[in-house]
Amino acid sequence: QGHEFRFGPCRVEGVALPSLWEAFRSLKDTVQAQDNITSIRLLRREVLQNVSDTESCHLIHDLLKFYLNTVFKNYHHKIAESNMLPSFSTLANNFVFIVSKLQPSQKNEMLSVSDRARRRFLMFKRAFKQLEIEAALTKAFGEVDILLTWMGRFY
Amino acid sequence: EVAALPAPQNLSVHSTNMKHLLMWSPVVLAEETVYYSVEYQGEYESLYTSHIWIPSKWCSLTEGPECDVSDDITATVPYNLRVRAILGSQTSAWSILEEPFNRNSTILTLPGMKVSKDGFHLVIELEDLGPQFEFLVVYWRKELVTKEHDKVVRRGGIPVPLETMEPGAPYCVKAQALVKAIGRNSAFSQEECVEVQGEALPLM
Repeated sequence: QGHEFRFGPCRVEGVALPSLWEAFRSLKDTVQAQDNITSIRLLRREVLQNVSDTESCHLIHDLLKFYLNTVFKNYHHKIAESNMLPSFSTLANNFVFIVSKLQPSQKNEMLSVSDRARRRFLMFKRAFKQLEIEAALTKAFGEVDILLTWMGRFY
Repeated sequence: EVAALPAPQNLSVHSTNMKHLLMWSPVVLAEETVYYSVEYQGEYESLYTSHIWIPSKWCSLTEGPECDVSDDITATVPYNLRVRAILGSQTSAWSILEEPFNRNSTILTLPGMKVSKDGFHLVIELEDLGPQFEFLVVYWRKELVTKEHDKVVRRGGIPVPLETMEPGAPYCVKAQALVKAIGRNSAFSQEECVEVQGEALPLM
């Protein structure tokens, strides 16, 4: 097991996935205990199942950007109140690193691939928007384990 | 009026083999023990929550003018580091490291290694440099330099058998350290050779 992700054509070396799991596990119980809506899942099967390798780079890029710009950014105050900042920082900074290394192809012949990936991401985003913001942030943050599990397929 | 406590100066990071040491010039006050507090922020914090600094795991209150920040630096992105002096209830201003530190700049030394024989087995034991290190080991029979073999050793500190040797023929080994967390490797160590005494069989 190396330290390398291969999201189709996108290769990212330099991230130890086990350390991301370790960071999330130390946050998981606190975060998931705050999620009262157990009947809804944002990262549903339709979002992550049967993603082709070529789609995966587009999808992970969109998902991680959303997590950085929306979920982590707005959930941060809850983390700051607890002593979970170091673990949160590990997750967030490794997501920043991964995004910086991803270059999803913009070639014309890849349009259908990026469109399919885009539709998957918008499915996730719509589900997020349908919830009250605090509930949505809590649920999305609690689903980082689903995201890491899916990322593990490309590790 | 109490003189302001001077802030630590000359911050620098010395990083070797993924061990990152933040160092600074001590604040010297006669007959006083000055303590220090270190904090960090990664690229995420500086981009999204720049007012947030995180106390260092090992140096939220430390006496020596240095701090091992290896456990704080957990991603291959630039990190800002700062330190201030503490004397009783007094705290100095923060001093911030001039250039953000990225762990991919760590110095990778040649890995220490011990080559030995266990009966007819060629054995290597590499320096234990921590969980982020793997090693590429290259070994060959001296007369057959063109026939090199290689093996990735996942951890240091334990003897690893490489090959069964023919008696009377020297075998040589060299190794380099691999750090996948930063996608870099060290140079190769010097080669070391060993031989099992006895009559060398003719090369086929």
